[in-house]
Amino acid sequence: MTQSNPSSKPPSQASDATASRGFWAEAWVRFRRRKLGMTSLCFVGLLAVIAILSPAIAGTKPIVCRYKGSLYFPAMAYFNSRWENPIFYRDKFYKRYPEHLKEKDPDSWAIYPLVFQDPYRRVKEGEWEGQPGNPTGADGVPNRHNWFGTTQAGVDVFAQMVHGTKIALLIGFISTGIAAVIGIIVGALAGYFQGWIDILLSRLIEVVMCIPTLILILALMAIVEDPKIWHIMAVLGATGWTGIARLTRGEFLKHKQAEFVTGARALGTGRVRIMWRHILPNALAPVLVPIAFGIAAAILMESALSFLGFGAPPPNPSWGTTLNAGRTSNLQNWWLILFPGIAIFLTVLAYNLIGEAVQASTDPRLREGTK
Amino acid sequence: MRRFLHLLPLAVLSLALTGCPSWFSDDEEEKEPFFLGDLIEEFSPPTLEELDAKVEWVEKPVLDSMELLREFKKGETVLATEEEALALANDSPQANAKIVSGLGRLAESDGEVDWNASITRHIGGDVKSTNPLFISSTAEFDVAGLTGVGLFGFDWNFDNFASKDTVISWHSSKDGLYDKIVMRDDLTWSDGKPVTAHDIVFSFKVIMSNQVSVPAVKSGTEEIRWIEAYDDHTLVFFHKEPLVTNTANMNFPIIPKHVYEESIYDDPSLTKSAYHEQRDEHPVVGGTYTITKRERGSQIVLTRRESWYMHDGKQVREKPYFKIIRFRVITDSSVALLALKSRDIEEMLLTPEQWRTQTNGADFYKNNTKEYGLEWTYFYFGWNTKKVYFTDKRVRQAMGYAFDHEEMLSKLRYGLDVPCNGIYHKTSKWSPKNPPKAYTRDITKAEALLDDAGWIDHDNDGIRDKEIDGKYVPFEFTILVSQRQDRIDICALLKENLSQIGIICKVKPTEFTVLQQLSRDHKFQAMFAGWGTGTDPDTSVNLWVTGKGRNYGEYSNAEVDKLFEQGKREFDPEKRAAIYAKIHTTLYEDQPYTWLFFRNGYYGFNKRLRGYKFSPRGPYNYGPGFNAIWKPAMK
Repeated sequence: MTQSNPSSKPPSQASDATASRGFWAEAWVRFRRRKLGMTSLCFVGLLAVIAILSPAIAGTKPIVCRYKGSLYFPAMAYFNSRWENPIFYRDKFYKRYPEHLKEKDPDSWAIYPLVFQDPYRRVKEGEWEGQPGNPTGADGVPNRHNWFGTTQAGVDVFAQMVHGTKIALLIGFISTGIAAVIGIIVGALAGYFQGWIDILLSRLIEVVMCIPTLILILALMAIVEDPKIWHIMAVLGATGWTGIARLTRGEFLKHKQAEFVTGARALGTGRVRIMWRHILPNALAPVLVPIAFGIAAAILMESALSFLGFGAPPPNPSWGTTLNAGRTSNLQNWWLILFPGIAIFLTVLAYNLIGEAVQASTDPRLREGTK
Repeated sequence: MRRFLHLLPLAVLSLALTGCPSWFSDDEEEKEPFFLGDLIEEFSPPTLEELDAKVEWVEKPVLDSMELLREFKKGETVLATEEEALALANDSPQANAKIVSGLGRLAESDGEVDWNASITRHIGGDVKSTNPLFISSTAEFDVAGLTGVGLFGFDWNFDNFASKDTVISWHSSKDGLYDKIVMRDDLTWSDGKPVTAHDIVFSFKVIMSNQVSVPAVKSGTEEIRWIEAYDDHTLVFFHKEPLVTNTANMNFPIIPKHVYEESIYDDPSLTKSAYHEQRDEHPVVGGTYTITKRERGSQIVLTRRESWYMHDGKQVREKPYFKIIRFRVITDSSVALLALKSRDIEEMLLTPEQWRTQTNGADFYKNNTKEYGLEWTYFYFGWNTKKVYFTDKRVRQAMGYAFDHEEMLSKLRYGLDVPCNGIYHKTSKWSPKNPPKAYTRDITKAEALLDDAGWIDHDNDGIRDKEIDGKYVPFEFTILVSQRQDRIDICALLKENLSQIGIICKVKPTEFTVLQQLSRDHKFQAMFAGWGTGTDPDTSVNLWVTGKGRNYGEYSNAEVDKLFEQGKREFDPEKRAAIYAKIHTTLYEDQPYTWLFFRNGYYGFNKRLRGYKFSPRGPYNYGPGFNAIWKPAMK
């Protein structure tokens, strides 16, 4: 009869209400309390927004344009070159929109990205009204039109950085996603079934741990006829799952003995359902930590590969590639080192801080220290 | 059994990584018997007396290249003293001329040379083999030039002569069919055995053996009918026919007979057996320097051979200036520049960017100076004419028109290079009197040519395609390029230019030796590369004649084949020049390459170095070339 609103509850009841929150909700509350973790999460969120909006931030193709009575989105070509409508090829735009849109259709209109710069090529004089051609070599210091300067070939570094965000995030999420799927499945099977399956899978984990990822990627990039960034992601994913698998195995070994599993088994629940619905949700929290660290490691690895000249095929606006361009200029073009260096540092730091925060907010042993 | 089960994944993985073990293989190669010199037609040489009786001999020059250079320098006006040259910054053609003149000074007396000096040179890639027969890259030329022994040489004008270091006399028959050489008897290999005429005959036979794969050296040598050693030091070259190129044809690399005469039968490749690997690591050489240390991917150390210039306690040849020559392998040019600035290396070829922007400060001029000289080295996009995309001449021409040459020259090459309009440099006597105009960008023309050739966007996807064998093939190809940023940038520009006209070009940076192998095997669609110049226009015969060894793009034009045949038979210099000029224009019309630019030689040198002189082959690879460089004794 005392159905009052929560604020009218006595302190002890409020505390009970908090305790009744689910594990993940509780973890989220604790995560939010960690300022560094939350700031890092916001930073990664910001990067995701930049990556998604990159064609609208920097580019030379209209975000949207009306041409000959139809609406087009040429900037989508920055995601996939085949998404650029062939009408512009047929009408001989030569990928120079400002020059040809009005000339071919006086009634046309277009909304261009915030910064008229291209991540793949040098913007020349006259392409955009009032904007000079991009400088090259040592003349490419940051200026009004090239906020982060230009590369030796005159490509705008800001545009490269913005579009490079896409690569940094993709490589992190996809490679770690692959690693997580493999690692969780292998770890779950090994931990749940034990016996010879565990022996076999544990040996497999040890063998994969012995494979030097960098050398494997270098070999693969040399062998593959048409190497792409996806190949790097696949190799990083296919070799980076061992830590996740070991942790998952440990968690499954622990939870298999728990009463709720025994109960589920007694009710006749199938093995897959027990593993998927009962154990996995309970085992997932510790696994999130290596996933967060894995994303950071993957970004660092891609940057390292691009830095060494073995990254995605050129022209590739990844942060590591820009950093490499700075190295070949013998540090004279400092802006090629500074901006991508800061971006890589902050992103890797952010993921590591997120990982730490996840660990602190999901590990009961660390909870006291967070208060 | 269960105990070993856990090893199964390991076994499966190792099988996947290493391939099937040999017992799974049933295609073991059957070893073909080896016949030394099986490509040489049978010939019975006359006795020397018979030959002398029937042939009218004409004496030919036997020269010392150092003496030649000294003579040349005497007539040269000195534009600056050493001190003035060292104080100058190379910021104008005038300053360059002064520095080259002031520091190009030769040693006037033995007393001013530091005979214990060493020099550390830069090479951009490792030497694949130390065997001079396999010479291919610039680094291999550099090493072989110092360790190899030869009978002939050429100066900075590419005039041939027999080398005084190895030859006593050289006579040619009036009809041009025979050359008689008398070798010096004070030449030894680095293992102490004498260098004899039999070594030259043996080397010739090795080159002319079917199972010995040395296409670059074979070209030219195959024009020799026979070489007969009448004694240890007297040789006669029998030519198939009188050719202008006969002297150049006789100038092939020489290997020691006593080292290879037995082992070649076990391993005709000269590279695979343990013995040959060992010989490659520690070669027996006949030149001025011997290889004393080789760390793969890191350095090669050469040491002056006393037995080169001393014989029976007497000095018989000029003593090489450096005691030690160290070649440091630094693949990254920016690292090499740092090494030059910190004196870890003492010379290097600078990139345009380095010349323009990274070598103007006190940090560079503290220990170094820089000079440039005109060089006949050109760079190109090479098209594989056997691939569907590039069989049609119009497509190759379209590539030339589609590419933004001006952007490349002014922005990517920093305005330091001249446009290339064909195989011969305009300052060469082989260049046409009215050379073709270098390609400039004309996108409309490029599109029209592609349309004419049938490469049209049939399926309206924005990519050109062509119906081949009933299927539409999109115009999508890969260009191979070495892993240098300045070269990758040029290919990226091509990619961007072609994307504007509906062609997809993928740029694939490739490790240098892999790139070489793929080129030799014709396993490429397009490539970016460069060629230096030979001493005779006929040296490019194996680049352009149908089926020749370095014709990587498998270009074929019967007219060009015929012209090369005519060129080597034409003794009238003017008529000969006209033939090669015609080859130049025909090739430029056919565009098997899109010629891009001639690269001059831009070098950074340590301030202690003296005596360099630039030639169209750079400052080293001619007579005396590097051998003229010295360091003054410290005062």
